[in-house]
Amino acid sequence: MSAVASWALEVAAVVLMLGVGAYAATVLESAIARIGAGVSPGPTLLLAPLRKAAWLAKQQTVRTERPDVIGWMVATAGLLPLAALAASLIPLSSTWVMADFESGIVLWGAVEALIIVVVFLRGWSPNSTFSLIGGYRFVIQAFSYTLLSMFVLIAAALPAQSLSIQQMVVTQQGLPNLVKQPLGLPLWIVIIVGVSFRGPLNLPDGRDLAGGTSVESSGWDRLLWEAGRAPLLVVFSAMGATIFLGGWLGPWLPGPVWVAVKTLVVLLLALVVAQALGRFRPESFVEMAWTVLLPVGFIHLFQAGVTALP
Amino acid sequence: MTVAIWVDISFWVFAVAAILTGWRVFETDSMVRASFLLLLSFLNVGAILLLLTAEYLGFALLFMMAVEMVAMALFMVMFMMNPAGLNPMEMVHQKPAAMIAGVLTFTGVSVVAVFGEFPNRPVRAGGGSTRELGLELLGDSMMVFESAGVALLATMIGAIVLALRTGRFGAADEDSVPPPIRPEDSHDDA
Repeated sequence: MSAVASWALEVAAVVLMLGVGAYAATVLESAIARIGAGVSPGPTLLLAPLRKAAWLAKQQTVRTERPDVIGWMVATAGLLPLAALAASLIPLSSTWVMADFESGIVLWGAVEALIIVVVFLRGWSPNSTFSLIGGYRFVIQAFSYTLLSMFVLIAAALPAQSLSIQQMVVTQQGLPNLVKQPLGLPLWIVIIVGVSFRGPLNLPDGRDLAGGTSVESSGWDRLLWEAGRAPLLVVFSAMGATIFLGGWLGPWLPGPVWVAVKTLVVLLLALVVAQALGRFRPESFVEMAWTVLLPVGFIHLFQAGVTALP
Repeated sequence: MTVAIWVDISFWVFAVAAILTGWRVFETDSMVRASFLLLLSFLNVGAILLLLTAEYLGFALLFMMAVEMVAMALFMVMFMMNPAGLNPMEMVHQKPAAMIAGVLTFTGVSVVAVFGEFPNRPVRAGGGSTRELGLELLGDSMMVFESAGVALLATMIGAIVLALRTGRFGAADEDSVPPPIRPEDSHDDA
């Protein structure tokens, strides 16, 4: 296969993960919400995201008084490229990684950090109170789970003795990290829900803030934001599948199919957890993150380290 | 040949962008904008590190600076009594002293860059530079460094727990009050 063709294929895979994955995640989320409420999820759900997108695209885009226009635009449009960058780091087979870096998880961490910047900037830029509170809330929420996420990523890197995500998959050949590091996946679920700020951790855009960072957002602006936010859920689920379920490893089926199947499993787990829990108050989540989850992260790191010793 | 040219072009683009955004840090009128312009400048420097195939350093710079600039923006706003950094304010003060310090620093760094002798030790083919970098930076003190890191983190968390309203005086959402400064003062009559 020529270099151009394989590159085009890799781009197609990332677009598929972002587009189709995010669409499926949005449909699944509302389906799970309906099942949870005891209503049968009808086929109308399949087209609901498209309908909402069309509605948003037709809607007027409202501006506030003296906003930071550049900051607002950068923030709104910034989430989707960050999700794409993260998606390009996920290995799809033994040879198929769009961005195969020897310190891939450090770049993953950088993406997580830049998401904080983007959400804060979006909250700050419109010059609006609720929006600003949403931005502040996300910073404290993200600072509380970021350290935990670093612990989980480092723990997954320990058996691989490498910062390369591909290497982390290859060393799960015998036994997936799910078994070697049992605390990892539950902690990562918290991070998936936190990064994509959904359900219990929808502090920045929550209804108690009348939409938070999105309170002044309408039309295309809102559409772009939601189109960046939904892929985060998929991409972080794919990372969970990669570092705990062995990513593309598996018999019979080709690598990308295994990645898709395992991602779906992690995604469903995250969505069910997000559906089952009520929204945290910011204080209670921060307290839980630093006093319960972080110590658990320490134990996880220690256990992973001891297990990885030859 | 083509790759080398693109690396050169990218270098100049990132370098000019880093300097321009760095300059804007001092020209803007808001602390939040200043922080994020500085972040943009650092992102460009990170890209230059990637061009130098210092992959780990480049990514680590992106990661560290993104987190630090958000923290910086937040804390500056909290301490400066400027409502959320939305009121315009000047970003420069003590200009003469700052100018002298700036010129001296620039001269110093330039002298090192132009006249300094840099080692020429190519990274071995195949393997990356991350491992070498780790050994070069830490060498035998890896264990000491890691232990100090964990101790520092524990100290930080301890400090936060002590400083929290929830730390010693009950949960924040349960109408907690700190104890009086003087023991004879009581909150009951307040």
